[in-house]
Amino acid sequence: MEQVVGPKYQSKGSAGKDYDPSFAREVYEKVDSGAELKMCMQCGVCAGSCPLRDKMDYSPRKIFALIRAGKREKVLKSKAIMLCTSCYSCIVRCPRKVPVMDIMHGLAHYALSLGYKPRAETALFGEKFWGNIYRLGRVDEKDVALRYFLGHKLSDAVLLMLENKNMGLGMLRYKRMKVLPERPLKNIKSFRKMLDKAKAMGKGGAA
Amino acid sequence: MNYFLYQGCSLEASGVHYLVSLKAVAKVLGLSLKEIEDWNCCGASISYVGGNELSVDVLAARNLALAEAQGGMDIIAPCSSCYVVLNKVNRKFQEKPELLKEVNEVLAEGNLQYSGKIRVRHLLDVLYHDVGLDKIRSAVKRPLQGVAVAGYVGCQSVRPYGEYDSAEKPVIQDRILEAIGATAVPFPTKMRCCGSGLFLTELDYCYELIRTILSDALNNGGKIISTVCPMCQMNLEAYQDRMNKALGTDFKVPILFLTQLMAVAFGLSRKEAALDRLMISADPYLKAA
Repeated sequence: MEQVVGPKYQSKGSAGKDYDPSFAREVYEKVDSGAELKMCMQCGVCAGSCPLRDKMDYSPRKIFALIRAGKREKVLKSKAIMLCTSCYSCIVRCPRKVPVMDIMHGLAHYALSLGYKPRAETALFGEKFWGNIYRLGRVDEKDVALRYFLGHKLSDAVLLMLENKNMGLGMLRYKRMKVLPERPLKNIKSFRKMLDKAKAMGKGGAA
Repeated sequence: MNYFLYQGCSLEASGVHYLVSLKAVAKVLGLSLKEIEDWNCCGASISYVGGNELSVDVLAARNLALAEAQGGMDIIAPCSSCYVVLNKVNRKFQEKPELLKEVNEVLAEGNLQYSGKIRVRHLLDVLYHDVGLDKIRSAVKRPLQGVAVAGYVGCQSVRPYGEYDSAEKPVIQDRILEAIGATAVPFPTKMRCCGSGLFLTELDYCYELIRTILSDALNNGGKIISTVCPMCQMNLEAYQDRMNKALGTDFKVPILFLTQLMAVAFGLSRKEAALDRLMISADPYLKAA
């Protein structure tokens, strides 16, 4: 395994003493797109480009620094790794061509697979979204929303449905909602087999 | 001109007015669009929660493989999210043969395979580079004279590569708006993110994002906003009322798909332009035209 930033300098004074390469190695090996992190030079253009940077506990740049510093718990528990809107600004602007967004997605998927819930609401919504894809091959907007609402305890579910009632009624009124349930793909069986195989072959989860 | 149309899930529901107007406009412009048979969801922005990267790649690969088996024409992805995912994954397959090999092992479960040769195009790309402004201009029967439009491109439409227009300061939508007689106002936040798939779960943050976009459009003289992304259209329009209540603002900005404005300019009916599907009516601003 090649050198991660710090340990090389450990013998010279205090610089680098906080660095622990073990988590960085874990990220390279187990997190989707994790190895791309090696190219990061900590310039911070990703942080400056992120539309939700000011809502994050750690910016993408800081997340990468924490990974190199071996702060495993801080990273996997960070609420920032699931606040990505997928706008691609960081990817477009990174001078080292680091796919910052893909790494954030990879970290979020990895954290979820280990049982961390950086953002419970988005995790629940994402789970129902993926559930639709697996079950139908497509996404039925009303079905995902409904399953997301009903994934809460009853009082919260009712509250959420009331909050979103006008939106749903509006979609119906302007004929922008499929009234009938979405039917699965014609080849849904082989489609599911593909997803099962990809899940088994790919990395990105705690096997 | 023959293309596959990868309409995606949104264009069949919340963004159906995009599909209706797009098909009407395509007919006028002589674009023949064929649906990819048995297409599946692209995964959009939030699929990373449930699927690892390879699974998400496979979602795109299956669509590309189907297109290849069904004739191999260029794919038009009118939805920005579909476009960005399909195009990005396609490029990965072209650049990393080992990934393509891996994906083909997975596709074999459905007796499919993919060579990496399909082209994925955004609607804007095809309108500007294949159809051309001259042809669009000549189809105009009712120029949108005096209609001030803020052309909102949204973050995913030209990304990640900026292949057909600048990834930071795109101009194609504005050129098309001008070709149909409208005034494209300057709009510095045309690439700012609307909140995308986080809207349902991170509402408060997303309100701030759309307020910035809406006020920027108005401050620059725009009366309506034009977009080419179903997610942007829904977030900016359907949540505007709730955002007004939450932030104490008073916005009532119609959000139209570019193809709806084109349909109006081409003299097509209200139904073909799907104007009746808008939650915030654009009629007061289009009457002047």
